Amino acid sequence: MKTKIGMLTAFLSLGFSVFAQTDSRWVLQQSTLTYHVSHALHQVEGVSHEARGKGVCHAGQCDFLIAAAVKTFDSGDSNRDLHMLQVTRGGEFPMISVRTRLPEDAAGSATIHADLEVQFAGQTAKYNQISFQQVTQGNETRITGTIPTTISDFKIDPPSLLGIAVKNEMPVRVEMTWQKQK
Amino acid sequence: MNLNAAKFGFGAGLLLLSFLSTVPLHAQTAGTTLSGVITDASSKGVPNAKISIKNVATSQLTETKTDPAGHYNVQNLTAGDYELSVSAEGFSTNVAKVTISTGAEQTMNLMLGGVLSLGDLGYSPAQTQGSAQDQARLDKRSHMLKIHQRIGLIATAPIVASVITGTFAGGKRTSSTDRYLHLALGSAAGDLYFISAYYAIRAPRIPGTETRGPIRLHKALAWIHGPGMILTPILGAIAFDQKSRGEKVHGIASAHAAVAIVTASAYGASILAVSFKF
Repeated sequence: MKTKIGMLTAFLSLGFSVFAQTDSRWVLQQSTLTYHVSHALHQVEGVSHEARGKGVCHAGQCDFLIAAAVKTFDSGDSNRDLHMLQVTRGGEFPMISVRTRLPEDAAGSATIHADLEVQFAGQTAKYNQISFQQVTQGNETRITGTIPTTISDFKIDPPSLLGIAVKNEMPVRVEMTWQKQK
Repeated sequence: MNLNAAKFGFGAGLLLLSFLSTVPLHAQTAGTTLSGVITDASSKGVPNAKISIKNVATSQLTETKTDPAGHYNVQNLTAGDYELSVSAEGFSTNVAKVTISTGAEQTMNLMLGGVLSLGDLGYSPAQTQGSAQDQARLDKRSHMLKIHQRIGLIATAPIVASVITGTFAGGKRTSSTDRYLHLALGSAAGDLYFISAYYAIRAPRIPGTETRGPIRLHKALAWIHGPGMILTPILGAIAFDQKSRGEKVHGIASAHAAVAIVTASAYGASILAVSFKF
């Protein structure tokens, strides 16, 4: 009888641990997304702290979605930001979103390599094996990295100042703090 | 015999005519139509989804968008293997392979996935769905401000030239040629200035936008050079009359040069404010 109770207890506890693993969720607590645009006369950075994100884990895989309104990026000059909104077709496509799928056990690594699908300016671009550093403290994980986006990836006409176009490279620096919820 | 020959000829003619008439019909129906409906996880049609269908062999790309009910229709596809890619704001891109056969109309329905949607992040449809009108307003604004910028830069030349010629026009040994040259340059500067100002003032405002950064200084300086560009020609006209009568410039007209220099300086500063990052 004791053996049966012990087996039942072991089975139930195993079941609970599997349940807990499959139902975990991640919520983006804080974020700083910074795009960098280079011009012969200017180095421009636009920052958004208003991204929202969630992750849902199921069967050992976690799907993440992070999104921000394009108009939340602030370069310190509202005229330039509105011009950026215009050239990136922000009136028609007001959001930038990033999707990725990661194995649930990636949470334990110092570096993660993610395949990203970025939707921006009405286009979708894919970036494979992008490295991010992560530091976990308690149930919070801080992730940093850079997405090597380019202007041509999203079929954006490069804006110009005094007849000189900006460079094609437009890397986006990502700093995010995620909280695991069960 | 002649009757038989005539019958044969008539029949052969009819056959040839019927054959010829079918040839263009075959040519018109050479392409296949691929249609279907794009839905989300709740089987609701996804409007404005971008459909890209690429011929694997030739890499020829055809693009269209879904209608408000999520329907799409791509016509005149030749037989072969295709890659159908469907993307829409807030959804994962769905890519499917499809083989097109000759002649038949084919259907392919697809569901746009994504475990999470923008709605799950707390965004409302009003926040995530833009509109062509919003984009048109931004395009018009940028277009008008570009004209403002170009004409404004062009105006710099006659403004500088009229300041320089002003030293001769207002001097003791002034001639009518000096005065008329100064007047012509001043008039050109004023015309270009007000055309440029029109494009800045009439450019559409974008709701919910707070003015930040160097553009604040650019706009603030307009409160100096704007009135200055009105006052300068008025004072100049009085000074011109006084000089033409052989009088020394006196009274309020004696402020013409000072007002013009302040106006030109404020104008130059407003250009520098938006040209260089300080």
